[in-house]
Amino acid sequence: MDEEYDIIVLGTGLTECVLSGLMSVGGRKVLHMDRNKYYGGESASLTPLDEVYKLYKMGDKAPEHLGRGRDWNVDLIPKFIMARGKLVKLLIHTGVTRYLEFKSIEGSYVYKGQKDAIYKVPSDEKEALSTSLMGIFEKRRFRNLVVFIHGFDKNDPRTWKELDPQKTTTKEMFEKFGVDANTQDIAGHALALYRNEDYKNASMVEFIERVKLYFESLTFFRDSKSPYLYPLYGLGELPQGFARLSAIYGGTYMLDKEGCNIVYDDDGKVIGVESGGEVAKCKQVICDPSYAADKTKKTGQVIRALCILNHPVANTKDALSTQIIIPQNQVNRRHDIYVSVVSYTHQIASKGFYLAICSTTVETDNPEKELEPAIRLLGSIEQKFITIKDMYEPVENSEKSGVFISKSYDATSHFETTCDDVLDIYAKVMGEPFDFKKDERLEQQQQQDEM
Amino acid sequence: MSQRGGAQRPNGAAQGKICQFKLVLLGESAVGKSSLVLRFVKGQFHEYQESTIGAAFLTQTVCLDDTTVKFEIWDTAGQERYHSLAPMYYRGAQAAIVVYDITNQDTFGRAKTWVKELQRQASPNIVIALAGNKADLSNKRMVEYEEAQGYAEENSLLFMETSAKTAMNVNDIFLAIAKKLPKSDSGGQSGQRPQPGVRLNEQNQASEGGCCK
Repeated sequence: MDEEYDIIVLGTGLTECVLSGLMSVGGRKVLHMDRNKYYGGESASLTPLDEVYKLYKMGDKAPEHLGRGRDWNVDLIPKFIMARGKLVKLLIHTGVTRYLEFKSIEGSYVYKGQKDAIYKVPSDEKEALSTSLMGIFEKRRFRNLVVFIHGFDKNDPRTWKELDPQKTTTKEMFEKFGVDANTQDIAGHALALYRNEDYKNASMVEFIERVKLYFESLTFFRDSKSPYLYPLYGLGELPQGFARLSAIYGGTYMLDKEGCNIVYDDDGKVIGVESGGEVAKCKQVICDPSYAADKTKKTGQVIRALCILNHPVANTKDALSTQIIIPQNQVNRRHDIYVSVVSYTHQIASKGFYLAICSTTVETDNPEKELEPAIRLLGSIEQKFITIKDMYEPVENSEKSGVFISKSYDATSHFETTCDDVLDIYAKVMGEPFDFKKDERLEQQQQQDEM
Repeated sequence: MSQRGGAQRPNGAAQGKICQFKLVLLGESAVGKSSLVLRFVKGQFHEYQESTIGAAFLTQTVCLDDTTVKFEIWDTAGQERYHSLAPMYYRGAQAAIVVYDITNQDTFGRAKTWVKELQRQASPNIVIALAGNKADLSNKRMVEYEEAQGYAEENSLLFMETSAKTAMNVNDIFLAIAKKLPKSDSGGQSGQRPQPGVRLNEQNQASEGGCCK
C-alpha cells in the first residue's frame, strides 16, 4: 500500500469501476479499494441469499423454501440497460462485453389509472395498431407524432414541420399533434422515460432524442419486445467486468479495507488515502459519496421495495422479465413509480422465483404507502425488503482538491444518467472529454485476444 | 451460432465438432499461472514473467479424435494478489486449473482453499485440475508428490506436476482436462447452462441480423 499512485478510486460501484477501467486503459496507475469485502457497493448483487437477510436485519438465514442460497444474486438497485444507450457503447468500446452475457427484457408495461390496469407499451407497428392503450382516433394522432419523431433531424428544417427546435417546448409539440393527456403520459413517461412533468416546458429536442433512443434500442435485437437488456447473474456483474478491465491494465484491487480516509494537505489538496494506519499516496481520488461525506449534499430520498415472488406478475403474459411504469399523473404523484422484474432465467434467483423491485422518489413522510400502487400489481409476495436511501451529490468536484465524487444512483430505470456522471468525471480528471473513437491499446488487446 | 458468441470454425475444420469451454486459472501470486498459459498457448517461457498485465483471455484449441476443444482461458489479471478476485471470474467456468508451487508449502494450502471455493461457488460439474508447478525445481521441493496426489484423489481432481519452464506436462494437463469435459453438440454449453444469454458486439446488433434467443 505504501506505493504512490496517480489515482486512488474508493468504492467499487459501477461508476467507480468504469472510471477505474478507463483510467487504467489511459495509462494511469490506479489503486482501487473498497470497505466492503465484495464488489459493487450500492450497485452490487448480493449472494448468497442469506446476505440479503443479514443486510436488512431479518435474521442470518433465508428460509429453506426459497431454494439454494447461492442461486440468488439480488440487485440492490433496480436498473436495466438501454440497448443502444451509453453503457452499451462503453461496454463495446472497452471490450468488457466479452465477460458478460445479456438477455433482452421481455416487455415494458404502463399503468393507466382510469382503468386500473397495465398495458403493454407497443414494441412494433403490429402491437401499436392493436393496442387498447388508446382509441382509434387517438392512435392516428399518436402515429403522426411518432412519424414526425422518426423523421426529425435538428439540422434539416424540412423535417421540423414548422416547429422551431430552438423555441418549441414538448408541450407545444404535443399541442400541434393534438395528442391527449393519456398519450402524453405514455410518450413522456413510457417512451422518453421522464420521471416527472418538467420536460413539458423544456425543448422538444431532448424529448425527441430520448424517444429515438427508445426506438433504436427496441431494434437492437431482432424480435426485441423492450429496449432493455439485463446481464445474467445480476447488475453486480457490470462493476466486476470493468474492475477486471482495470486490473488487466495494471490496476491494483484491494477489498475489505477499513477506513479508506482521504488525507489532505494544509491547502486542502489530496495527498493520499489512509487505511489501517498506512497511507497510499496519490494525486487524485475518485470516490462514491460515502467516502467523502463532508463534500456532498443530500438531494432527496429513494424508496425501494425488493419483493421475492413465486409467480410472474399478472397481465404480463407470464413474462420472465418486465418493466412496469406508473406515470405520476395516473396516481396523482409528482414522480413516477417503477417496477422491474427479473427472474431465475437471469440466474438471479433459484428456480421458479422472481425478483420485483418497486422504486420511486420519496415525496411524503410515509414512503412505504407511496409504493402501494406498485405493490398491488405484484400479487402475493414471499418476502419484501424495504430500503429508504438518501441520495447525495458532490458540493464541489474540484481540480483544486483533486477529489472527484460521483452521484448516488438515482431512481431512473436505466444507466444513462450514471454514464453521464462517468463521462463528466472522466473529463474533469483527465482534462479532456472521453473519446469513443477506438483506443489504440484496447484495439491491440482485442486483436491479441482473437488470435 | 455458438451461444457464447465467439466460436467460429476455422477454415478447413468443417468436419467434427467444436466445443468451447471457459477455463480459469487460480492460485497464489507467483506460482506460475500466467507462465503455464503462455507455455500452452504460445510455447514461450520468460524467466522473469511480469505480474499479469494485459492478458484478458487467450484461446487455444486441443484436438481429440473427431472433436476440437477450444479453451477460452481467463487469467486472474493479478486480482488474486490482495484476495480481491471477482466472483465473475470463475462463474460459468467449465474447467479450472488450480496451481501451486512445489517449492512453497503455503501455496499448496492456498490451492486447497481455492478448490474449496470452487466446490462451493462454481458450476457443480466443473472439471478441476491441480497443477504442482515449478517441477524443474525439485531440489527445492517442499510439497511431496504423494501428498498432493492423495489430496487430489480425495477430491476427484486431475493432478499433475508441471513445469512451464521445461514444458513438462503442460500440454498434457490441458489435454487431460479436454478429455474429461462433457462434449455435447452445442459446444459444451448445454446441460450446465440451459438458457444462456448473448454477448454484445457490433455483429449481433440488429443491423446485421440479431441473434437473441
